[in-house]
Amino acid sequence: MDTSTVNIILQFLHYMFFVYACSAILSYIILSVISGKETIEYLKKNSFVNYKDILSSTMAPSITIIAPAYNESLNVVENVRSLLSNHYVNYSVIIVNDGSKDDSLEKLIEAYDLEKVDYIVNEKIKTKPLRGGVFKSKNPAFEKLMVVDKENGGKADALNTGLNISKTKYVACIDVDCLLLEDALQKMIKPFLEVTDAKVIAAGGVIRIANSCIIRGGKLIDVNLPKNLLVQSQILEYLRAFLLGRMAWSRLNGLLVISGAFGIFDKKIAIEVGGYDTNTVGEDMEIVVRMRRYMEEKNEKYRVSYIPDPLCWTEAPDSYKIFISQRNRWTRGTIETLRKHRKIGFNRNYGSFGLISYPYWLLFERMAPIIETVGILYFVILIILKQVRWEYALSFLVLAYLFSVVFSIVALYSEELTFHQYKKKGTGYKLVLLSALEPFVLHPFILYAAIRGNFDYYFNKKKKWGEMVRKGMSTAEV
Amino acid sequence: MMYYQYIIDYYNEFPFLVRLIWIISGILFSIIVLLTIYLKLVRSFLRRKDKEIAKFKDDYEASLIEYLYSGNEQEELSEVQKSIILKLKEEVPFKSKRKIIISILYNLMNEVSGEMSDSIKILYYETGLIDYAISRLSNKNWYIIAKGIGELTRFKIDETHDKVAKFINHPRSEVRKGTQLYLVNMFRFEGLKFLNTLSAPLSEWHQVQLLETLQKFDDQQICDIKPWLKSTNDTVVSFAIKLAQIYNQFEVKDVLIELLSHKAKEIRVSVIEVLTHLYGVEAKDMLKANFNELSLDEQISFFALLEKLVIPTDEPFVEKHLFHKNFEIQLLALNILKSINIDKYMGLTNLPKDEKSPAMLKLVNTI
Repeated sequence: MDTSTVNIILQFLHYMFFVYACSAILSYIILSVISGKETIEYLKKNSFVNYKDILSSTMAPSITIIAPAYNESLNVVENVRSLLSNHYVNYSVIIVNDGSKDDSLEKLIEAYDLEKVDYIVNEKIKTKPLRGGVFKSKNPAFEKLMVVDKENGGKADALNTGLNISKTKYVACIDVDCLLLEDALQKMIKPFLEVTDAKVIAAGGVIRIANSCIIRGGKLIDVNLPKNLLVQSQILEYLRAFLLGRMAWSRLNGLLVISGAFGIFDKKIAIEVGGYDTNTVGEDMEIVVRMRRYMEEKNEKYRVSYIPDPLCWTEAPDSYKIFISQRNRWTRGTIETLRKHRKIGFNRNYGSFGLISYPYWLLFERMAPIIETVGILYFVILIILKQVRWEYALSFLVLAYLFSVVFSIVALYSEELTFHQYKKKGTGYKLVLLSALEPFVLHPFILYAAIRGNFDYYFNKKKKWGEMVRKGMSTAEV
Repeated sequence: MMYYQYIIDYYNEFPFLVRLIWIISGILFSIIVLLTIYLKLVRSFLRRKDKEIAKFKDDYEASLIEYLYSGNEQEELSEVQKSIILKLKEEVPFKSKRKIIISILYNLMNEVSGEMSDSIKILYYETGLIDYAISRLSNKNWYIIAKGIGELTRFKIDETHDKVAKFINHPRSEVRKGTQLYLVNMFRFEGLKFLNTLSAPLSEWHQVQLLETLQKFDDQQICDIKPWLKSTNDTVVSFAIKLAQIYNQFEVKDVLIELLSHKAKEIRVSVIEVLTHLYGVEAKDMLKANFNELSLDEQISFFALLEKLVIPTDEPFVEKHLFHKNFEIQLLALNILKSINIDKYMGLTNLPKDEKSPAMLKLVNTI
C-alpha cells in the first residue's frame, strides 16, 4: 500500500471513531433528557396514588413469586422469610430448588415445617423432572409458600418449572437472594392494571445494591454506602443505568431487558413464547426480546413497563474475579440474544423495536467494548508509528472523561431529587469523588470482562454461568 | 505572567477543533464544580428537611392525639381543643408543615371512627386546611387538582361536590379518576352515575379502587346495573359484571346470558365465571350446544361452571371431552366425572397408554 492509501484508511478510522463517540455522547444526552421528563411525570402521577385499596383487595390480581435457588443454603431461610413478608394480599411464593447439592431443601423443610404433597405439573414448557417433589407447609402461617425440588437444569429451567406450576395470571420472577421491599408487588403490578390502550406484557424495576445495608428479619433497615471501592462504583453504575438509561427506554417503550433479579410477567404470554430459553446465559434479556417480538408479529399493541422506585435490593460482587465473571456472562447473554433475534434489527416490520431499540443495543451495548478495544489498539499503533497528534488526542481524552463525570453526577442528582436513598452525611462527596474515579476503577474491568465475554462466546462455547459466591446480605450488616 | 502568556499563545496555536474542545472541557469542568457545590447544598437541605419533618411529625402527632382525647360531651370543642386548633392554624400556611399535618390527620382518620372521626373533620375545617384543598382545585396544574380532589375524598368533604364534579370530563385521566372516586366515596352507588355516559376506558386498577370504596359502606343496597351491563363501553360492562358477582345480582342473570354472545372474549369469559357464581343453570345448555365454537378460555370457564352445576345427564358430554387437548379441561372433566360416578372413573388407569396423557395417568393414580 502506498502512503496515500494508508492515509485514506487512517482518515476513515479517525472519522469512524469520531462519529461513533459523538453519537454515543449524543444518545446519552438524549436519554438523560427523556429520563428526566419521565421521572418527573412518574413522580407527579404517583404523588396521590392510593395503594392501600389494591393491597387489601381480593379483586386485585394474584401474583406468584418464582424464585429459583441453587446452593443457597447460607441465606435461603432468611430470604424466603423476606419474600413472605410482602404486604400484597393475593400472592404466593414458589421456591424452585434447582438440584442444589447443599442442604437448602432440608433447611427449608425444617424452618417452614414443610411436607411433601401430591401435585400434578402441567408441563406446558419442557423442564428437567422433579427430584424430591413438591412441598407445602403444615403451618397455616406459611400457606403462601410452595417449595419445588427438581433436578438441576439451570436458572431458566427452574423459572420454567415455576411457570408450569403457578396458577396465577402474573408471575414475578426474582433471584432468591434479592430483598423485595414490602410494597414491591403492588407498585409493580400497577402498570398491568392501569394501561388500557395496550397490553402490558412485562414490568421491571430498579435493582439497588444491598452490600453494607442493614437488613433485619428480611427487611431493609438502613442504607449505607459500602467501603469497598468496587461495590461503590457499581452503585454509581446502577444509578446511571436504571435512573437515566432504563427510565428513558421505558418512555420510548424500548426496554429490551428486565433484570433477572426482579420482573413481573404476563404468564400467558411468557408461556405462549415458550418460557425462558435454557440455552442462553442471558435468559432475562432473551425472554423480553422474544415476548416483544411475539407481540410485534401478532401486531398487537403492547408495553414493557418500568418502575423507578427502589423496590429490589441485591448483593453485588465485591471481588474483581466474581465481578468479571458476572459481566462476562452478561456480555455473552447480550450477544446470544441479539444474534438469535437478528431478524428484528433494522427491520421496519418491528417498528421502533427494530429501528431504534435493537440498533441501539447492537451499536452501543454489544459493539461498544469491541470498538473501544479496537480504538485503544489503533491508538497504540499510532503511538508506535509516531502518528499521534497529541493536541487532538489529549483534548478528546479530557473531554470524554469530563463528560463521563458530568453524566455520573447527573445520575446522582436524579437519585437525590427523587428517591434520596443515601442520606448519610459525607456520602454525597464520596459519590462525586467516585464519579471521577469510576472510569479508572471500574470501566477497565468492564471492558476486560466484555472482551473476555466475546472471546468465550466465540471460542469457549462450553462456558456457561460463572460462580457467584454469596456472603449473604444478612451478614453484611454494619 | 509570562507563564500565563505562554499558555495563551500555545492555546492559540491549536487548530480550531482542538480549541473548541478545550472550551467545552472548560465548561464541563465548571459544571462539575458547580454541580458538586450545589449537590452539597441540596443534600444538606434534604437532610435538614428530613430532621424538621421528623420533629414536626412528633410534635403534631402529640398535639393531635391530645386534641382527640380532650373532647367533652358538653360542647362541640373543649378549651384544650380550641387552643390546639389555634396553634395548628398558625402552622397551616406553611406548605411543608401543612403536608405533615394532613398526613397525620389522614392516618388518624383511618384508625378512628364515630365521634373521633367527626372531631378530625371539625379540625380540618377550623384550621383552614379545607380552604387550601379547595384552592388546589383552581390550580392550572393537573396533578395539583388531582391532589386536592384526593384530599377532599380522604376527609369525606361532600360540600365541595359541585366544585369537584366539574372535573368529571377533565382531559387528564388522573383527574377524571380522582373525581370518580370522590363521587363514589361521597354518594356510593349514586356516585357511579358517571358510568352511564363514560366513553373512556375504566382501567382494572381504577375498577378495583371503586369496588373497594363501595365495599367500605355498610349499606349494601345496590342500584340497577342493567344499563351498565348493556353499555357500549366494554370496560363499563366488565365493571358491572364484577358488581353482579360481588353483590350476588341474581336478577340480572338474563342480561348476563345475553352477554355470552358479546363481541369481546374477555367479557364472555368473565360472564361464564359470574354465572358459575350465580348458579346460572340456564346458561349451561346454551354453552354446551355451542361448545366447539367457544374459545379455549371460554371452554375452560365452562367446564369450571359444569363442575359446580353438573347433573348426571351431563356425563356423556363431559366424557366426550375427557381427553381434550387442554390439560385444565382434562382435569376439570375428570373431577366432574368423579363427582358423578367415582367407581366408574377410578378404572381409567386400565386404559391403553396412547389414550391418555402421562400427566393424566399420574392424576388418575393420585385419586
